[in-house]
Amino acid sequence: MKKLMIKTMVLKALTLAAFALAVSPMLARPLQAVEVSFEEDKRLPLVYVNLAVKAGAVTDPEGESGITNFVGEMLLRGTRDKTKKEIDLELDQMGARLEVETREEALILRGAVLSSQLEPFLKLVLEIVTEPSFPEKEIGKLRKEIVSGLLEELGDDSSLEARHFSKFLFRDHPYGNPVLGKIGTIERLDRAKVLAQYENIFHEKNFLIVGEGDAAEKTIQAWGDSIGKLRPSGDRKAAAVVGTPENAPERRLEIVDKPDRTQTQIDVGQIGVRMTDPDYFALYVGNHAFGGGSFSARLMTEIRVKRGWSYGAYSYFRPGLKPRSWIAHLFPAAKDAPAALAETLHLIEQLKKDGITSPEFEFAQRSLVNSAGFMYNTPQKRVANTLLERTTDLPSGFMESYASRISALNREQVNAALKRFLHPEKLAMSVLGTASQLKEALTKASGVKAPDVVVVPYTEE
Amino acid sequence: MISLKSIRNRFSPLLLGACLSCAGPHVAPTTAQEAKPLVGTSKVNQFTFPNGLKLLVVEDHSSPTFAYQTWFRVGSRDEILGKTGLAHLFEHMMFKATTQHPEGEFDRLLEAAGAEGENAFTSRDYTAYVQELPKDKLELIASLEADRMVHLALTETAFKTELEVVQNERRYRTENNPDGTMYQDLFGLAFKTHPYHWPVIGYQEDLNKMALGDAISFYRTYYSPNHATVVVVGDVSPTHVRDVISKFYGQLVATNTPSHAIPAEAAQTAARGEKTKLNIQIDKLLMGYHVPPISSSDMPAIDVFEEILSGGKSSRLYRALVDKGIASGVDTDDIDDKDPTLFIINANLQKGKHAALAQAVIANEIQKLKKELVGDEELQRAKNKITFDFYESLSNNSAKAHFLGKYESLTGDFENGVLEQQHVQSVNAAEVMAVAKKYFPTENRTVVSASPKGRKHK
Repeated sequence: MKKLMIKTMVLKALTLAAFALAVSPMLARPLQAVEVSFEEDKRLPLVYVNLAVKAGAVTDPEGESGITNFVGEMLLRGTRDKTKKEIDLELDQMGARLEVETREEALILRGAVLSSQLEPFLKLVLEIVTEPSFPEKEIGKLRKEIVSGLLEELGDDSSLEARHFSKFLFRDHPYGNPVLGKIGTIERLDRAKVLAQYENIFHEKNFLIVGEGDAAEKTIQAWGDSIGKLRPSGDRKAAAVVGTPENAPERRLEIVDKPDRTQTQIDVGQIGVRMTDPDYFALYVGNHAFGGGSFSARLMTEIRVKRGWSYGAYSYFRPGLKPRSWIAHLFPAAKDAPAALAETLHLIEQLKKDGITSPEFEFAQRSLVNSAGFMYNTPQKRVANTLLERTTDLPSGFMESYASRISALNREQVNAALKRFLHPEKLAMSVLGTASQLKEALTKASGVKAPDVVVVPYTEE
Repeated sequence: MISLKSIRNRFSPLLLGACLSCAGPHVAPTTAQEAKPLVGTSKVNQFTFPNGLKLLVVEDHSSPTFAYQTWFRVGSRDEILGKTGLAHLFEHMMFKATTQHPEGEFDRLLEAAGAEGENAFTSRDYTAYVQELPKDKLELIASLEADRMVHLALTETAFKTELEVVQNERRYRTENNPDGTMYQDLFGLAFKTHPYHWPVIGYQEDLNKMALGDAISFYRTYYSPNHATVVVVGDVSPTHVRDVISKFYGQLVATNTPSHAIPAEAAQTAARGEKTKLNIQIDKLLMGYHVPPISSSDMPAIDVFEEILSGGKSSRLYRALVDKGIASGVDTDDIDDKDPTLFIINANLQKGKHAALAQAVIANEIQKLKKELVGDEELQRAKNKITFDFYESLSNNSAKAHFLGKYESLTGDFENGVLEQQHVQSVNAAEVMAVAKKYFPTENRTVVSASPKGRKHK
């Protein structure tokens, strides 16, 4: 492929009158305590329903990293009246899909079904959510599957590096904990802990239902109401337990040591901003010019286009209830890693000092405004937007407000925001590679004193 | 920073095509077939131009955007040993300078216009260039795509820089990736003469020797209107698209298709296998069986066979491997090749379990499908899931365009993709058993298993 698909969510959102869509409007209204948002779309005989619990991995109790995801997976493994085998059979017979996605701030059951099978599907999901049995045998099996999955991840350099960098950047903050957990914590989970976490977060006020497809909105609303009535009212958990993360006081370098690497994975970053921060849109434009995935962006131009050092080089913000992260990512050959790291640091320092140029600003602004419609041109994207807005406490319609916000910006505002935001002296840097080959050169490139460089084996959790 | 314009001037790019304006006079298409149904109310309008260019158009006015994809019927199967990776490398070169636009301008013009998902990909059989745009940008993309189809202007410097990028991509996808390494080994073992033997990204030693002249020769041979299909799906009018395509592509000249004999693969007569050690913590397994191409009349039955084996958590392999605590995941790859290819089963083992055990379990499950007819309920379950997947594969403009481009490139007619789905509904248990017997004997199998370095094989 010419370009690497960026797996991590890179927010891109705008709206323009020219993109007023010829579809039925998204309906979103709080009814009693369960909020339901469903868009009717009858072009295909499919229905997508997402049941989100607004309490994700950040609500994992200390020492129980991964338990929220574990609870989600266990829902699919037995109810009061059905075994896992029976649930699997029913779903497949319907031609349906039901999967668990765990984020830091939400646990989401993602369902999709042929519209002809919607009624039995909704009935089954209701039972799964409100009458889980958490059988001991299935807990043991899931534990082994997840541990094996985590061991498998050790063979995937980019995923492994992302996990290490998150921990390195956030240190003790819950955002640094892996959503799937650690081998040690998963192996210690038991039924009592699983049940306790279920009771802790599966509350009516935590529920959110978002979907689209060939169904009536009132059907989904009625279903949501019936789920809400079967669970305690409770309260919102995620927002209460998450503090605001902070940068470490100094620049830091970690080398994730893995043998025989001919290529490295490099992350350089710092704590980000809330999407509701007054500087967010200015930073969004600044980031687009710097490394926002465009082939015209500075990072891509300097690292890939001019020098061929890395197949991909980009930067992005990760969203959250609290400020998450801003990360620049590249994966140069081992031989080029020190120079590529030094160049990336130089570019970040230069960005803070001089900001972006007028041509860069104008190009970024125009590109972002003109691509506005693609933020929400399909029902699936509108569903994704609503899920993000509701689970990270963004104002309703936030994802469609970008164009007007970006259109109103000028270069001075962008550069002032970059100056306030960037902290090159506090950057966290993580490099997955073979330490014996790279440590000395990376240390020199990073500007971190040799005794302060951290080397961790890639197998370390 | 050197401006793109100065790069172009400094290195005197080689001109690969006649410097004709793309915006020539309108040329009427030779044929316009009757629109054919795709899914729901969607219909596919087909046009063929005098220079051989094919055009498929689907109207969908649900958003003021459209997907625009250009599919070239060339992939790694068209390479030769010693020049492997050329099709993919050339895909990268297509974003370089043309006689009309300096390097970087293609991306800048599209990005400024609000393009989304601008990308490209290369397979064994095709190379595709894709993007979505706001509805008023049809002329822009048609002019740019027509331009780079024949007016690319390559420099030695641009070639060498991009070659380095591709070598980094290879490090990413293969050298430092256990799955990539294993797939390369699997196809290398299973195919001895056919070009599916080598990986799409090519061998490192071939990339090291690649020269600008190779890229130019490849471009002149395969990039022309008679080797391409343009697919447009979205808020457009078929006749307007036809006229725009005619305006920008109508003057392009067809080239001769090379008489390039693709060597057929002899039938495999004995099981093949390889055990390897990698930087992994759990065992991994890949099993491949030779099967017919995507256009085969056996494909609907193979689709059902595949779904019964690995479709969902009630599937036979999930039950036998994951539910039994042997694997943490098991899956099969969709068949997506023009020539006879491999039906691939992949599994990641659970901690402490060995690939040999999973291989034996999978072989046993396949054996059962050869001996016992599948029950009606299981058969219907498989068909329901295939129906669901089919609809989902057509859920937006880009997905529809991809479906059309893929089947058009692989089988010569997108309708084969629709017909395959329809035929799935009439597959019976005896046909499933028949394909199990025909394509899944032990001697037709190739296995690559990997275990952690430092552990003895079992």
